[in-house]
Amino acid sequence: MDAVDVSEHYEVTTAEETPSLLSIILDANPRAWAALSDVLPMSRAIANILVFVNAHLAFSNSNQVALIGAHLDRAVWLYPSPPKPKSKTGADASGDVPMQDVPAAAAPSSSANKYPHFAQIETAVLSSVRSLVDNTTEADLATTTTQLSGALTLALCHINKAAQALCSPVANLEDSRKANASDAPPTVRGRILVISVSDSEPSQYIPTMNAVFAAAHAQVVIDTLSLSGDPTFLQQACFNTGGTFLAATHPQGLLTYLMFGLMADSEAREALIAPTHDTVDFRAACFCHGRVVDTGFVCSICLSIFCELPPGAECLTCGTKLALGNYGAKPAVLPRKKKKKRRIVNGNGREETGSATGTPRP
Amino acid sequence: MSVSPTPSLQLAEYLEKLPGTTFRKLYQQPSTAFAIFRRMLPHLAKTFVMRILYMPKPILLSDLDDWVKPSAKRQKDQALSIMRVLYIVQITAPSKDRPQEMQLTANFKTSLRLALSGGGTHNSFGVPSSLQVPLEIDIPFLDRYARKRWEDILHYVVSSVGFKSASEVTGPNKNVKELLIAGRLVDRRPNGGVGITQAGFTFLLQEANAQVWTLLLLWIEAMDTRKELEATDMLSFLFVLASMELGRAYDTNALTDQRKNMLVYLVEFGLIYIPNHKWSMFFPTRLATTLTSSGNSLRSISDGVAAATAAALTPGQSNPTSNNADQKGSVIIETNYRLYAYTQSTLQIAVLALFAKLNMRFPDMVAGRLSRQSIRQAINFGITADQIISYLAAHAHDQMHRTAALNNKPVLPPTVVDQIRLWQLENERMKTTGGFLFKDFEDHKEYMAVAGFAEEVGVLAWRNDVKGMFFASKHEQIRDYLRIRKKAE
Repeated sequence: MDAVDVSEHYEVTTAEETPSLLSIILDANPRAWAALSDVLPMSRAIANILVFVNAHLAFSNSNQVALIGAHLDRAVWLYPSPPKPKSKTGADASGDVPMQDVPAAAAPSSSANKYPHFAQIETAVLSSVRSLVDNTTEADLATTTTQLSGALTLALCHINKAAQALCSPVANLEDSRKANASDAPPTVRGRILVISVSDSEPSQYIPTMNAVFAAAHAQVVIDTLSLSGDPTFLQQACFNTGGTFLAATHPQGLLTYLMFGLMADSEAREALIAPTHDTVDFRAACFCHGRVVDTGFVCSICLSIFCELPPGAECLTCGTKLALGNYGAKPAVLPRKKKKKRRIVNGNGREETGSATGTPRP
Repeated sequence: MSVSPTPSLQLAEYLEKLPGTTFRKLYQQPSTAFAIFRRMLPHLAKTFVMRILYMPKPILLSDLDDWVKPSAKRQKDQALSIMRVLYIVQITAPSKDRPQEMQLTANFKTSLRLALSGGGTHNSFGVPSSLQVPLEIDIPFLDRYARKRWEDILHYVVSSVGFKSASEVTGPNKNVKELLIAGRLVDRRPNGGVGITQAGFTFLLQEANAQVWTLLLLWIEAMDTRKELEATDMLSFLFVLASMELGRAYDTNALTDQRKNMLVYLVEFGLIYIPNHKWSMFFPTRLATTLTSSGNSLRSISDGVAAATAAALTPGQSNPTSNNADQKGSVIIETNYRLYAYTQSTLQIAVLALFAKLNMRFPDMVAGRLSRQSIRQAINFGITADQIISYLAAHAHDQMHRTAALNNKPVLPPTVVDQIRLWQLENERMKTTGGFLFKDFEDHKEYMAVAGFAEEVGVLAWRNDVKGMFFASKHEQIRDYLRIRKKAE
């Protein structure tokens, strides 16, 4: 009779797996790749990344992938290929718009030795990387660092779009209102992997951090594999979103770094010990010159950071007149008073407020 | 307790019985290695395989412990045991002077690497046909065709219960009927008709993907015992089919004669389509291409994502998923045992009628309720409560899923689920588990170790620490473990 037990309840959950969407942002900085070309030519790096992409897709039929190139002055889609600007003759008589999103489909590689989906991605990525290289002019080479924030934003938008499209379109208003309030599990496990080869550009601090906080809010994990350079902001990005930051000491082992350190998605990470990065560079960039600063001035109203005193002690962001106190004055040395400090029991450091009761809680 | 439908169960059981040599042969084909990796392994095991795939040397078994959080040790052990059963990894025998090492089996490793990177001359992902494809064959056409074929088979099984469907059904081919009888999904009655068996009910209540596998495995076994076709080759051809692309024509002439013979049967199951006048090409249908994905084969999440991304990139396109709305779940069940199903499919209505009392029918919906009587009737047919519950869960309406996700509650109302089980327990106070009793251990320590191991690999059914005996549903791994223990001492 043990089986007939009222305390035992059977809960039915549906075991449908959550699709995982991996967006890879490839830093396409030509200078940095030129510097790396001895140990890791870009062609080999892309081949390795493609194997990694295939490995991710192999996990499940429902896994998806997106590749974005972060270039010196723009972010470009590598896969899925971006829609071509629609020509006026796009729609034919039946009103159908010819599908243009997969140019590879027009010329399918008819190899029987490759999974068709993998072959499709490979052709799409290779052709878009080629066009990216072809479209890089000498004038572009004037800048030395990569504009990463655009690519991050693009990836986030893509993940968000995919997640929303997966939710049933007939969800009524009440549901969507509730969904914002409660923490419903996401329909897509989004993940962004940045393969970085260059330093962080201080002027990109604000847009990058905005993207990072948006990612953290959307439960999107940002992982970084840094092949060279010092991507300060990406370290913070990984830290804030709970991702993995790996700095490759031997870039030629790119595939091993990818397969070993960055294969696990957020589901597997619940069980695995993630590689950790012990020191995180938390320095911020100032709002006035874009310098990375250790110590600076912070506006007490809007928390803007300045590396030096703003002109007229007026905050550049919110315009508040800031009182500086006696900044710059030599601190006077006073003999310290011997104070009898009460030992705080249990680490409960609530200040004496005079009233016996604590702050009322809702 | 979660009653998650386990679609890969039968395939897993079938594969577990295969000997290592068969696996070595299977893994020679990259598509097979790829399919088994994708379909059979739990998520954690997949991550392990990917981590060690490109490692030049075997890794220490103790290193694996360092990868995993202590709280997930059980998951790790299960992943490891599945990988061993499927001959994906080999682990050296423990000895005193050398620590245990683990590596991927050679064939699996080379094949999976080939599958990921492409190349080689194995042709295991299907040779596309170079001929002109007839215009009328597109993906919706193939979907309609596959669904028609499959529902014919299901109708045949259901109608043997006595619920005659209104629409005229041609019924499946004679070969398929023979197979259903041979597989004991239906059996011949003295009056010349056929009647459904308990296995048949189980079959009906499974989700489509599991049904396909059940039938295919029956077919493989039937063919293998008749020595017409060889099981290993059939299985690997199925995996080839699974890795093909929907809507593309493949070349029949590139296949071996044996595989050409298989095509005839596969057409009858609706897994492939061959145009009437063109025998030189064949089209895999969705039933075939989703063989290796878990979940419902007639709709897949990847389609949703693909449609979503396509819509994201080309705004202005109308919703492409609207045409398969009828394949989504359609059953709503309320806490007061009322059941509503938004369906017109006579098949689904017939299946629901197996365990629910349907009393209203509207143009696109039926309503009814679950009652003690209707459930008892189902149980008398040989249907179990678990089957009913997993059927309801698998076919639950989107609205049910949404509210469940929003309120963090189970999909089906717990009262109903509990009650269905209680109704079953009314005349079933015992539960039987086939298996093996282990007793008379040399000492208590040995008993604890072996019982602990059995629990870790998930075969322990019952244990009594005082008497020093336990009962396990499978013995192969325990036998190996005992042998290893003996050797180590």
